[in-house]
Amino acid sequence: MEYVVISVLNGLAYGMLLFMLSAGLTIVFGMMGILNFAHTSFYMMGAFVGYSATKAGHFWLGLLLAPVVVGGIGVLVERLLLKRLHAFGHGQELVFTFGLAIVAEELIKSIFGDFPVPYDIPQQLKFAAFSFHNTQFPFYRVLMTGVAAACFLGILLILIYTRIGIVVRAAERQPMMTEALGHNVGAIFGAVFGVGVALAALAGAIAGAYYPTSARMALDVGSIVFVVVVVGGLGSLAGSFVASLLLGLLTSFAIGLDWNLAQLADLVGLGAQARAAGGMLTLPLSQFAGAIPFLLMLLVLVFWPNGLLGDKQ
Amino acid sequence: MKRRRALGALLLVTTIVVLLVAPHFAGSAGQSLMAKMLTAAVFACGYNLLMGQAGLLAFGHATFYGLGAIMTLHAMSAVEHGTVDLATPLLPLVGLFVGFVSAAVIGLFATKRSGAYFALVTFAIAELVHVIAPMWQSLFGGESGITSTRSSWLSLTFASDLEVYYLVLGWSGVSIGALWLLTRTAFGRLTLAVRENENRLQFLGYNAYLLKVLIFAISGGVAGLAGSLFAMTNEAANYTLFSPEISAQVIFNVFIGGSTTFLGPIVAAALLTAFPYWLSDITRSWPLYQGLIFMGIMLYMPDGIGGWIRQKSRKMAAAWRSKAEVRSIAAEKGASVGLTNS
Repeated sequence: MEYVVISVLNGLAYGMLLFMLSAGLTIVFGMMGILNFAHTSFYMMGAFVGYSATKAGHFWLGLLLAPVVVGGIGVLVERLLLKRLHAFGHGQELVFTFGLAIVAEELIKSIFGDFPVPYDIPQQLKFAAFSFHNTQFPFYRVLMTGVAAACFLGILLILIYTRIGIVVRAAERQPMMTEALGHNVGAIFGAVFGVGVALAALAGAIAGAYYPTSARMALDVGSIVFVVVVVGGLGSLAGSFVASLLLGLLTSFAIGLDWNLAQLADLVGLGAQARAAGGMLTLPLSQFAGAIPFLLMLLVLVFWPNGLLGDKQ
Repeated sequence: MKRRRALGALLLVTTIVVLLVAPHFAGSAGQSLMAKMLTAAVFACGYNLLMGQAGLLAFGHATFYGLGAIMTLHAMSAVEHGTVDLATPLLPLVGLFVGFVSAAVIGLFATKRSGAYFALVTFAIAELVHVIAPMWQSLFGGESGITSTRSSWLSLTFASDLEVYYLVLGWSGVSIGALWLLTRTAFGRLTLAVRENENRLQFLGYNAYLLKVLIFAISGGVAGLAGSLFAMTNEAANYTLFSPEISAQVIFNVFIGGSTTFLGPIVAAALLTAFPYWLSDITRSWPLYQGLIFMGIMLYMPDGIGGWIRQKSRKMAAAWRSKAEVRSIAAEKGASVGLTNS
């Protein structure tokens, strides 16, 4: 019971973080069809903005500055560079955004060095929110979850209920028609890209304090965000929310379980043979935690290519 | 046209002579770098059959490259222990076979999707293999990987870098030559048709699906062969060969060189492989410059350097031709004016 509750809570916290990271990516793909491999570089930059602010003694200011500064960079990148690439194709975008990711990593390395920086949460935030049986649940994880939930609700409400939201949705569905009605679709794309980047940067500033902060952190989550976006359905915000939570929970549960394939074989009476064969069959599930997302992504792509909540292709 | 042919033949002969002679002056480190450049060129050329000619963007060729390398090392060990009787120079056939078969299997369902979805399927499979490989001790040797030693064959010991270089050169020549010949066949034409208009291909009665699987398999086979050549030079491999960086590198090589040309990716792969070796002595942050160059080329030469050169040379040729035309017309006019005057 204790294991289940703590795993659920950890899974939710990790899932919400994943959502903040991948929300921008899925919106940008839905609107502009760009597979942006540099998206997690903005997450990494956000963490370093947060670190710099904390070093100057302003942790909270860092959380505010990270999305503003990095989001601004994102708007510039979209307006000045990415916009021009769009006419060429996926391959060119892929090479370009990969190049951008390399440049971002090297620039950060040349400023902050190759090794993880000591970015830590402030002392007054280091307390347990509550304890369940004997496990204490840190307050900071609750904060992470809360911020992400607030972001999700905020974006959803803006998209559904405000005039801005209507124009953005129109620009996604019918860019030509929206332009004909007098809206500057280019500027809308730039702004949406900026918001997506700002979300990733905020996630970086929050998560960077909790997890190790280094120039490599963009690569560490570089693949998983694509899993989220695909499983949720390319372009679907709600889909990526569900997929993030699903992945968070799956990973969190898998890490703590030592089931293996041999136990599965036990069910049909082949356990002994499976154990004798050894190798992959006796590895505990926790070792496979890293493989689960990609297996899920593959299954979704093969059987439900539109993802959980995505539109038809 | 005749002049272009002659120029091409001259370039080809020069390249072959340089590739044959240069390693004698290069030293051991230079020889192994040249072998790496050739390996990358083969990999890029095989990938470009899929990307450039068939227009299918895959993001997971590291799978076939890595499988080719690992299986070649297993075969190399088997030859060393005498359990399998295979001439050492023929070991790359193992990589070719493994790459072809695994790509055929993966291609069966990857090619059912198109565009970004096709790229994502290949990406998911590659990541899956990348995650599983370090845990599969018996096949991939865990995190440390597997090593083996080249056995001698006839009078060749394959102990020196020079002998290995010539082996790699031979296989590179054969595979790149074969891929070039393939573009001249009806199959090569069909490959282009897949890129240009798949529906029309279907209407003409061709099975576009099987065709795509076959193209994917051939491309994977060449990737496996390249992995084999890597294993032959390195005598060791581990799971990092499956990492997305390897898949990305070959895409870089192809797009920087120009996916619409045959030679561009080959030259770009060779040069970009040497790039870090040249620059890492000068600056530690050479990837920064590499990344900036990639971004610049994609912005200003979306068809890569090869595509850009071809476009420029065509323009120049057209300008030259139109000038010549003007001159001949002027000459004719002049002649006719002369006639009326007399």
